[in-house]
This record gives sequence, C-alpha cells and structure tokens, in this order.
Amino acid sequence: MDEFKSGFFVGGESCNGRVLIVDDEPDIRKVVRLTLHKAGYDVLEAENGAKAIDTINSGENRLLLDVIICDIRMPKVNGIEAIAYFRKNYPRVPLIVLTGFPDTDMATSLLRQGVVDYLVKPVEGDKLKASVARAMEQRELAHL
Amino acid sequence: MISDLPTSDGTRVPSAAPSDTAGHRSDQDGQERMASVMPTPATRVAIIGAGRGGTALLDLLHQLRTIEVVGITDRDPAAPGLQRARELHVPTYERLADLISNHRVNLVMDLTGDPGMDRILREQTSGETDILSGPASRLLWDLVRHESALQAELLHSEKLAGIGSFAAGIAHDMNNPLQLILGLAENLLDECDIETVHDQARDIVEAVKRTTAICRDLTSYSRRASSQQNSLIAINGKLDEALKIARYAVALQDIDIRKSYQPDIAVKGNPDELLHVFVNLITNAVQAMDHGGTLTLETTEVQGATRVRVSDTGCGISADLIDRIFEPFFTTKPPGKGTGLGLYNIKNVIHHMHGTIEVESHIGRGSTFAITFPREAPTEDRSRPS
Repeated sequence: MDEFKSGFFVGGESCNGRVLIVDDEPDIRKVVRLTLHKAGYDVLEAENGAKAIDTINSGENRLLLDVIICDIRMPKVNGIEAIAYFRKNYPRVPLIVLTGFPDTDMATSLLRQGVVDYLVKPVEGDKLKASVARAMEQRELAHL
Repeated sequence: MISDLPTSDGTRVPSAAPSDTAGHRSDQDGQERMASVMPTPATRVAIIGAGRGGTALLDLLHQLRTIEVVGITDRDPAAPGLQRARELHVPTYERLADLISNHRVNLVMDLTGDPGMDRILREQTSGETDILSGPASRLLWDLVRHESALQAELLHSEKLAGIGSFAAGIAHDMNNPLQLILGLAENLLDECDIETVHDQARDIVEAVKRTTAICRDLTSYSRRASSQQNSLIAINGKLDEALKIARYAVALQDIDIRKSYQPDIAVKGNPDELLHVFVNLITNAVQAMDHGGTLTLETTEVQGATRVRVSDTGCGISADLIDRIFEPFFTTKPPGKGTGLGLYNIKNVIHHMHGTIEVESHIGRGSTFAITFPREAPTEDRSRPS
C-alpha cells in the first residue's frame, strides 16, 4: 500500500497535507491550526504526547499523517519521549519542534535525531508554513 | 513539636527548633538522643538587658545548639526581649540574682549599657562565671547586627540564585501567549469578518494581560524582602501565591495538587520571607517527584497553633542525609543546580517567626515538611515569680 497520501481531498476541498500539532496549550493549537488551515492543511490536535501517540495510531492517521509539530514541555508523555516514539515507529513522518524554551543542546540533539526543524515560539506564520512545506518535501522524498 | 506525624517506619527530624536545648532533641516518645553535631555540653548563658540588643542576641543565641540561654532579665517588665523570651520558652526573671545564682551560668552577657552593672555582676557571680559587659558587650551588639544583616543578604542571594532556574518556566509562560498574539495579529491583517476580528482582538488583549501578570509576579518576588517583620499574613493566600511562583521553577503538569486549607488563618511575620519559604518547599517537593506524583498543601489551626504541611510522594530522603538537610551549603543536587542554602534559610526564617520546622520522610514514598507557628498570645511564664 502506498503510505504517502499528500494532496488528498478532505470534505471536497483540496488538502496540502495532514498535520498534527501536539501542544498542551489550547491557544497554541488554535493559532497553529488557524495559520496552517489557511495555507490549505488539514490540522489535527493533541494536548500531550500520549494523546498524540493515540492519534497517530488511530484509523487512517497512521497512513495519512504527513507532518507532526511537537512541543517539548508537556504533561504525561513529554515532547522528547513522544518524538522518540515517532522516530522509532513512524520514521517517515517528518517532525518539527515548536517550543517556548530555546535550548541549544536540545536543538542539536533533536536535529541529529532527524527532526526537520527546531522552531522557538513566537514563530511567524510564514516561517511556520515554510517549515511545514520543507517537511512535506522530505515526506515526499521519503517515498521516492 | 508536631504530634500527628507518624514515626513508625519513617525518618523524622526537627530542625534546630527553639524548643531544643543544649543540643538535645526530644523524640516523640520522650526519649532524648544527642544530636550528632553537638559533641560538647552547651555553654549556659544568661542575658542581662532585654532591649533591642538583648532581643537580637537572644534570637541569635537561641538558634545555636552549642548555647543554652538559661534566662533573661530586665528592670523594665515591658522590655521587648522579655516578650520574645516567653515566645521562645526561655525563662524570664524579675530579679538579677534569681537568674545568675541558680543556674550554674557559664557566661553572663550584659547588654544594659549601665556602667555600674559590671561591678554588680562580679559581686553576684562566682569566679567560674565569665562576664561580658561594657565595651565588649557593645562589640557583641555590633556583631549581632552584622550577623542579622548577613542573614538577610544570604536569603536574598539564595532567592536570586533560585530565580535563575525560572528561565525555562518564564520562557514557556511568556512565549506561549506571544505566539498567540503574533498568530492572531497576522491573521487580523487580512481578516474581513468583523465578528472574528473582535474575537481575536479580545484574545490578544487577554494574552497581553497574562504576559503582564507574569512580569508583575516575578518582579514582586525578586525584590528584597521588606523589613516588615510583624505583618499579619493570610497563610492560604500565601501558599497559593507560592504555587504560582514555583511553577516557573518546576513543571507542574504531571503533578496532582491537593489543597486542604482551613479558612481564615493567619500568622505574624515577614510576608516576603514566608513566600520565599513556601516557594522553596514546593519547588523541592516537585523536584523530588521526577515522574509525577501528588503535592499536598495543608493548613490547620490546632489549639491556637498554626500548622502548614507541604507533602510530596517523591523519592524521599535517606536516613543518613536527613540530619544534614538544614545545614548550610548541604545539597544533593548536581553542581550548579542548588545552592545548598534553601532549607538553611527556611529554618532561619521560621525560627525568626518563632516557629518550628520538621521533616518526615520515607524512601520511595515521599516527604512531609511540617511548620508550626505558635499561638499569638504569649504562653504563661513559669519561672516568673507570682
């Protein structure tokens, strides 16, 4: 089965891809959804790492999820643990870190683990969209 | 002494509380054991003069395990040091002779400033009792004041060092609303729906208020403690305020917070210093729970004494370390992570408020720090002749 489904149709509208935003702050999920939805992405939300793992493992998401945007400091399963899980179980799904606390060592470590981008809040909409677009390219390359 | 802490299988240690004397600690079952840090008998000291100097000296000596203050006296029955002595359960005397003749006093400290007092004291004491008076006592008073200033400085330095660890929490709490503000403002640039514009503008205003509140809390907390030592402090509100500050230092997402507050209870003391005490205790409690747990904050009033308990379900403190946790510069944290002054300063603040602090800990089950503040009214003075 072809795992890559970018460019599919959601509710009759063309969709650039499906993005999961993982952040414990509803405001962040809301604003990321707003920005990416306007750019044509279908956006799913999870409030912590545990919920994110449930989401990616449920239904069609294991096939259709294109990009994960993940915070670090979260309850239950935190960002580091969630990212380790995604890298192990869904290595083809690109990851973007969106964190409130810039930490050079952590950024280096995560980028070495294959994270596409390490963004520090507040990040401008254009930068976020560019990062997601790069992640989508990586997603496509993974299927060549 | 807090009586409702179980002792069966946990380690339980009071700090050098005002009720301790001569370096001994009294266990709950009445058995006394020597504190390991007190190898020699305490020096028995009598204080003559209960003005400002005598009061400060009493406060200082009372914290030292190597000193036992056997009593204090003053010609003026309203002298502040006599009131302080009653609060600390130190005997007070109306007659000088009653104090220095009955207690095998090693050292008499005269802070009256009376030039004739030295002669009177020499007449009434044996050759085995040392007397410190005149210029020597003035020097002592200067040293006590210096010590007091140093303690205040130490408290402030330790607080500022702790604020360094707030960086991650502040960044998290500031950058999240900033992300919302930026995202919504960008959206408003091309938003045409007037209702959406209003909603999002309102969200921006609220986010700015939240950000402002963070700055206000932190600048207020980081300021030097006020000199108001006798403010009436609402304990429950102060605990809540401390919780708000502590969340910058430690992540509370995986912590179940339980509060059991008795309403409307207050203690007298320095509100800024007490806030610092609570922030430190809460921060320590959360740091002890690496993988989440329950933080319990309790306040009660029993027979006029106010009790505050901060409990965690964390790793606990081992028996070989628990005796040392109130020592200055003692820390189990990695280098750069702790000053080792947190619990030492807590002990000093609590003692200055005439309270006691005790800890009970079970390895793997957690710790409880229990503070008891005495009743406001002075206790009956047993040694004063009726």
